[in-house]
Amino acid sequence: MQRILLASHGTTGSRAAEIVAVNHLQPGDQLIHLQVVPDFWDGMQGDDWLNNSSTRDVFAVYVENSLETEAKVTFDRVAAMVAKRSAMCETRLVYDKPVQALLKAVADVVPDLVITGAPRPKYAEGQNSKMLTEAMLRAMVVPLLVIPYPNV
Amino acid sequence: MVYTKKTPWVLIIGIIMCVYAWLVQQQYLAGVIKYLETDKLAGEMVTMGYIFGVIGIVVGLWQQFMQPKEGHLDYYLSTIGGALLILLCVFAVKYGAEPVFKAWGAAAGKSIGWDFAKTLGINYILLGIIVGMIVVNVFKVPTWAENGVRLSRLGLKTGVILLGALYSAAELAEYSKWSIGLIFVFVLGSVGITLFMGRRRNIPTSMAGVLSAGLGVCGVSATVASAPVVNAKSSEIAYSIGTILLWGILMMFIFPPVGRALGMTYEQFGAWAGTGILNSAQVAAAALIYQPNGIETLKVAEIFNITRILVLPIIVLWLAVWYVEREQTAAKVNLLHVIVGKFPLFVLGFIVLFLLSTTGMFAPSHHAGGKFFAGEKAKLLKDEQIVVLQKAATDRPETKAALDNLIANKRVMSKEDDVLLRGMEKAKETPKEIKAVLKDAHKNAWKTSPRIGWFRDLIIWFFAFGLTGLGMQITVKAITQAGGQPLIIGTTVGTIKAVGALIAVLLLKDLINP
Repeated sequence: MQRILLASHGTTGSRAAEIVAVNHLQPGDQLIHLQVVPDFWDGMQGDDWLNNSSTRDVFAVYVENSLETEAKVTFDRVAAMVAKRSAMCETRLVYDKPVQALLKAVADVVPDLVITGAPRPKYAEGQNSKMLTEAMLRAMVVPLLVIPYPNV
Repeated sequence: MVYTKKTPWVLIIGIIMCVYAWLVQQQYLAGVIKYLETDKLAGEMVTMGYIFGVIGIVVGLWQQFMQPKEGHLDYYLSTIGGALLILLCVFAVKYGAEPVFKAWGAAAGKSIGWDFAKTLGINYILLGIIVGMIVVNVFKVPTWAENGVRLSRLGLKTGVILLGALYSAAELAEYSKWSIGLIFVFVLGSVGITLFMGRRRNIPTSMAGVLSAGLGVCGVSATVASAPVVNAKSSEIAYSIGTILLWGILMMFIFPPVGRALGMTYEQFGAWAGTGILNSAQVAAAALIYQPNGIETLKVAEIFNITRILVLPIIVLWLAVWYVEREQTAAKVNLLHVIVGKFPLFVLGFIVLFLLSTTGMFAPSHHAGGKFFAGEKAKLLKDEQIVVLQKAATDRPETKAALDNLIANKRVMSKEDDVLLRGMEKAKETPKEIKAVLKDAHKNAWKTSPRIGWFRDLIIWFFAFGLTGLGMQITVKAITQAGGQPLIIGTTVGTIKAVGALIAVLLLKDLINP
């Protein structure tokens, strides 16, 4: 039985990684699907000085729910593909710096393989990936497979 | 839940402040103070040092020797650490960094002909924000200070409320007239351009909605208020806030030097900053960077800011309706709930303070502007200055009469005389030495109201506290989320708004100078 750690968060690049990760699975294998909510959300209402606390609370709850809902859509999509291959799927939603979250998950799960998507090409739509850094590559202790960005 | 985090730092900050006040009081720092030319602030250093130092020591000791229990007292006292951390930063920049930069700037002015501190407007407000940003981005705000740092928002709101007491009815009417006109044009214009560009560039309705509020009204606060109403996705919120923060910070640095280069009056700059800066928090910052030790710029900027803030519930309401019309899946919103929920209550405080001040309860009505005509209590000119004035000549009979009055009485006898003599002082043909005496005569004729002066200093402290604390909440991580279509649209709208507002203010040059 092999354990694959998939780091994806629903972007075009990571969807390609999802497909490759699922195709690697054999019946009985385990896929650990990691999604990271980046810690920049800490400072996202820092400069709001004039709203009252209820407006800020509504915003905070709204953002939390949105992030959770968006993550759940990705989790459900991957879980459905994994189920078709008679493999097991475990989900992890973490709020942290992307690199730290990945390394902590690797230390915790000790997977046979880590799969993630490539950063988006310049000028392509989407947020910048903060996961594939040199520090992460140096600290990675298991094989890492980076799936090329699809031609869209 | 117990909010107070036990730490020796509150006690340490309290001791530092008290020791500093004592050293200043005992003249041990006289040499440093003289070198930094901060003699005028020595009294303030002692008073503020002892007040906040004692608070720090008392709360610090309480934290060390008592066990905080769940409740209101614990919650309120948990904010003291962060508040003191902000104040320590304000102390450091106001009494240390600003005078040092001033001295370096003056030295650079002499050696290379460029006083960078003056040109770039490096003062304690700007430095406070920068120090705040360094604290959060390099060192991270310590957990014991987090609650107190959030208190800075209250500091800014309190500053705005207190500012209400310093407007005369005529000023408020004049500024409001221009602010309503300009804000109406620029808010609707920015919202319109954003929605138009959004449609042309095929961005989702929710993103266009959240961006238009942020770029059009008051920046991050508008984004926070409108995001749930238009069901913005998390990435759309991140992009929008990142873009607005980036623009707000850039404009805060760019506006004051440009204003100085163009020789804008305080009123003009206040109107420009209040209209052209995307993010409302940076409006107050830019105004105080432009004029750190006075409030004329801040008064105008805040009227424009408040006008924008009052537009926020209306724009959010309109966005809610606009979004529901375009998106079939959108849930209907309670319009009354939106209006009431988004109304900035502190603006009511500002209005109440203004109304109370018109009754004369804070200071006599003729003190409202901060300065009042001293009349017979004015300091007399020296005999040698009178001799200089006797050489002055003018063709205008009314100015001649005012000049004769001045020579006879050694002081300006009426406000009308003062206006005429000011005209003579500004005239190109007036010789330098006569200009200098006329300037002194004008200075002697006007006194600063002690009560208003005290009030003004208090307000500036609230703003310095609020803006430094706000700096501690601006993270580079959030700013670097700027990108994609929002950055393109934000850059276009931000530039049009800044340049358009500048042109409008310059065209209305004489009108925005009541």
